Formats: sequence, structure tokens, C-alpha cells
Amino acid sequence: MNAYIYDDFLNKNRYRRSLNRVEIRLTDLGLNGKIIRLGTIKNIKEVIQAEIKNGIKNIIAVGNNETVNKVISAMITNKNYGFFQKDVLFSVIPIGGNNSIANSFGIKKEEDACNILLARRVKQIDIAYAGNNIFLNKAELTSSDAIIEINSDYHIELKGKTSVKIININDDRKLLFKNKISPNDDSLNLIVNGRNPDNTFITSNLIKMSGSGKILLDESILVPLPSEIGIIPQKINIIVGKNRSFN
Amino acid sequence: MFSKNTKLEKFKDAETIIGASIKVKGNFNGQGDIVIEGRLEGSLKTVANVFVGEKAKVSANIEASEALISGEINGNIKVKKYLAISETAKINGDVQCGEISIERGASITGQIIVSSEDSKKTDNKKERIDTEA
Repeated sequence: MNAYIYDDFLNKNRYRRSLNRVEIRLTDLGLNGKIIRLGTIKNIKEVIQAEIKNGIKNIIAVGNNETVNKVISAMITNKNYGFFQKDVLFSVIPIGGNNSIANSFGIKKEEDACNILLARRVKQIDIAYAGNNIFLNKAELTSSDAIIEINSDYHIELKGKTSVKIININDDRKLLFKNKISPNDDSLNLIVNGRNPDNTFITSNLIKMSGSGKILLDESILVPLPSEIGIIPQKINIIVGKNRSFN
Repeated sequence: MFSKNTKLEKFKDAETIIGASIKVKGNFNGQGDIVIEGRLEGSLKTVANVFVGEKAKVSANIEASEALISGEINGNIKVKKYLAISETAKINGDVQCGEISIERGASITGQIIVSSEDSKKTDNKKERIDTEA
């Protein structure tokens, strides 16, 4: 059984045509399922948890990065993943802009997403957290005075205004270190100036950031400093395309 | 083992790279190769290899399997196998290693102990494992 979680912004007329195309394609492929519209729900977590308990096997976020974040946050509880949730597959049908997570899954257009759901190519990935929020792709910070503590062993200090990325799944196909990043190695990769000759690459599973500024998670959620960033012990099963950005 | 031609190629896949614009303070423990191009204060320990770049400034004791030093080190260096010191290196501290090469122009203020025992022990162990396999 499938549950399609539609984000609120899809109520706008300009997305009507895309949604119609998706719904027709899903029906053609025999993949139709329950549609849950986030706009009408006050407690997303409660609704999604109830669906999982009722036997939903595939949860598909329809929208953008923010939708993915809302849905996965609702699927997992208290940084832990209950036994009944482990068999649930997650995927995304990207609609509109800000869809880097779908892109890294190898899902570029909504029509591709339907075919990819049918193919059911499953991969297991880590879920990262920053404070009380989760993220799949990356956490970004631009700061001149941030102090970044790695595994409680050492800390790094930045010189001048610097862009720092903490990556779980890489969505930048031009990144120098792209081949060294794995979304299922129980660790995160901290990168400073990833495209310049002067760059830094550190692997860690616990990073603490302090100083001024805010961390941007998956290009959609802002988290103020200080913040602890790490990996949730359990992984999530996702349906991905052939052109995903990881193995 | 390091050679002049493979200095940097060797480290393309390093586990950790500290860029020139970064300052690290604390105890740095690694399992893989480490490249330092910036500043490091504290200690640096890895079971693999260390490369200290030309512009790097390290105020730390270093322990590694092999190392290539091109920058400034204030601290002791303990390398199990091969230590390569290039012409731009400035070392203020004692050096202990299995094998050593020092390029003309390098500066070392401290005691140098080259003892192949550690290196041989490691090689013998490796051979024994290969034979058993």
C-alpha cells in the first residue's frame, strides 16, 4: 500500500497540471494509493505514524526538500526508529523548485519518479540530525567566527568568512571529494571550500558548532547555533533511480 | 612508500585534509592518511601516513606509519617506517623513524634516531600474515 503525502504549496493552481500528470501516470502503473494533504493536517507525525501502524509500506513525499524533511521527521520518532517502521520504504516525487534531495536520489522529474517507484530500486541511507531537526543531504553554514568541534577531540577555527558544508548525501556532482562521500557509512563529511584548491575534508559522526549564524538544512530549514550534528543510529530505506549521486 | 614523483598523488584519497585556511586545535587521531596544509596545535596520531605541506605550521607531536614533511614542525616526530623530509621542511624537535631521506636545504634542530627495527618488525609480521593466508 502506498501513501502519497502532498505538501501545502501544491494547492496552488500552477502545480495542478503537474499533479494531474503524476496521478494519471501512477494510476496507469497501478501505483495509486492514499493521498494525504499536509495543508489539512495539524499533527503530521500522528497521521503518518498511524498510517505506518495500519500497514502502509511505501511513503512518498510529493513536493520539495522541505516536504521530504517534514515527512521523514514524521516517520521517525525521537531520533530512533521503531521496529514497525523499518520495513517502510520512502521516496519522493519532486514538484516545483528546491529539489536537491530528489536529484541526489536520481529522480529529476515527476514522470521519472513514477517509473522509479515502479522499478523499486531500494537503497539504505543514514539520516543526519542537527539539534532537533533531521536532514538527508547537507547542512550549510557561512560564518567567520564559528568554532567546529569534531568528535570532542579537536576543534577547527575558521579564518574570515567561510562556507562550511556537512554532507550526508552529496548532491554536487562537481565536488572534488564526491567519490569519498557515502550516505550509508554511519558518518558525515565536513567540507570547507569544496571546489577550491584550498579545501578541507574531515569525516566524523559527531560535530558541534558554536558561534554566530544559522545552519541551513537541506536548503530549507534554518537552525540557530550552537548545534550538535550527528547521525541517527538507524537507517532509512529509500526507493532511488539509476542516476542517483551515490552507490 | 613516498617518492618524489608521487608526493601528492598518494594523498588524493586521504581520509582527512586540513586546508591552508584552517586552524586545528586538539588531539587529532586518525585511521587513514592525513594531509595538513594549514595550522595544527595539539597532537597528531594516525596508523597510516601523514603529509605536511610546504605552508603548513604544526605545533604538535606526530605519530604515523610513514610521513612526508615539507612544512614547519614544532614537536617530535615518530614514524614507524619511512620518513621523507623535503628541502622546505623546518623541524624543531626530535625525529625517530625506521628509514629516512632528507633533502638538501631542510632544517632540523633536534635528535635523529633511525632504527630499522620497527620497520622490519612490521614487514616480518606482514610476511607471516601473507604466508598464513
